[in-house]
Amino acid sequence: MATSKTFPVTRRTVLRAGLAAAAASGALIGRPRGASADDTLAEVKKRGELVIATEMQFPPFDISDNGTYKGVDRDLIDAVAKELGVKVKYLDLPWTSILPGLEAKKFDLCIAPVTITKERMKRYLFTVPIADATAALMKRANDESIMKPEDIAGKTVGGQKGTSQLAQLKEFASKLPKPVEIKEYVDNNQSYADLAAGRVDASVNSFPNLAYAVAQRSDTFAMVLPPFGAPTYFSWVGRLDDKSLIDAVNTAILKTESDGTMVEIQKTWFGQTMNLPKTVPEPKI
Amino acid sequence: MHPQVILQSFGYLTQAAGVTISVSLAGIALGFVLGACVCMARLSGNAALKRIGAVYVSFFRGVPLLVLLLFIYYFLAEFGIEVPALAAAVGGLGLSSGAYQAEILRGALNAVPRGQGEAATALGYKRVDIWRRILLPQALRLSVPPFINEYILLLKASSLVSVVGIAELTRVSMNIASSTYRPLEAYVGGGLFYLAINLCFAALGKVAERRLGVGRAA
Repeated sequence: MATSKTFPVTRRTVLRAGLAAAAASGALIGRPRGASADDTLAEVKKRGELVIATEMQFPPFDISDNGTYKGVDRDLIDAVAKELGVKVKYLDLPWTSILPGLEAKKFDLCIAPVTITKERMKRYLFTVPIADATAALMKRANDESIMKPEDIAGKTVGGQKGTSQLAQLKEFASKLPKPVEIKEYVDNNQSYADLAAGRVDASVNSFPNLAYAVAQRSDTFAMVLPPFGAPTYFSWVGRLDDKSLIDAVNTAILKTESDGTMVEIQKTWFGQTMNLPKTVPEPKI
Repeated sequence: MHPQVILQSFGYLTQAAGVTISVSLAGIALGFVLGACVCMARLSGNAALKRIGAVYVSFFRGVPLLVLLLFIYYFLAEFGIEVPALAAAVGGLGLSSGAYQAEILRGALNAVPRGQGEAATALGYKRVDIWRRILLPQALRLSVPPFINEYILLLKASSLVSVVGIAELTRVSMNIASSTYRPLEAYVGGGLFYLAINLCFAALGKVAERRLGVGRAA
């Protein structure tokens, strides 16, 4: 290796050579892997393809419509990839597999919307926000007993386990005069199904997700306005050491905001526009 | 209930059913080969081979398929061993099913009365002929019902391969449920496909049983 010729062989160079050899042996067996973590961006450009993963069960962000990937994330990542001059390969993985897959370098970037939290910032690198993630509530369309968020006092609310929206709901509920029974689900769709079936009185999720569900099934669901949570945002995440890739993605996202692409996407999927911070905001939760 | 949701997604479900069937058949085939090898190892006279066979069975029967799939796909990558999703799925199903199929074969071979082999030896049959003409035909007959059982179980367990990103039937039903907000219809649609495939498996099993005369002789 060039490094060991020009520099005295230290333990670190030996370690690096070993790592590079391990990576090279990986390349023989499967998809090329970055020789070192810093140049994922270079690797992506060389490959001509950005490999992303998301769970295509999070409308309106990620939808698998009869096998075709659609949604906010699809439109936005396509615009970002165009900016980077590469194609995109989309992987559909269950949410529980996505963050482990990112760390195992099965793909370059997670474009499932992730709420920015302090805990997650220690392990992953966040892009600038791609959408609003403020927690809100949805009820049955014919339920007159819930007209504002505070009306859930004494009722049952469902939400997805491990989400920041559910955590915000718990905090909100603790301040209400009557206790709220909270049911936790593996994914939001089960919570919606139980809402329709009458097993819960409301479902918690981010405002854009709920607004889209209501638009799709206005006969069954209705929004409880206003959103009750503190303003939070969704971002995409990369590996902690992939700063060059995340910087490039950030530049591309900010460009979509200045050239009108983001507004187009928001109008298509949310039916309204929203202002997003230009930097990664300090998480409150 | 809106049956049109199922009709609209029929093509998508059919495609996913194709994935489920291919992955399962490949897993069954790999499992059969592995199972036959492991069974031979366990029945051989060699103590080391016996031990290896026994460890294989207890390991792959003991580890949940989901954990096995995650291990192959994500954990091996940490050591630079990059397993493509499809290979991880088929490998996981095959390795796990191999343990069960080995035991089915072993059970069937053990069920053939010992005296038959001894009698054949006494009559001067060669070892190869004893296996080919006496032991294997009877064992095969005995193993058809448990094999069909195992294949139906494997087909349903194949829903787990979605953790490595393969769009099989259950995963696609979930996708349809989330994009249409009609979970009942989506899962009924997926369930009907599983039922149809497994009825075909059962029918094939019936044909095999009739051909081999299971339940009559032996």
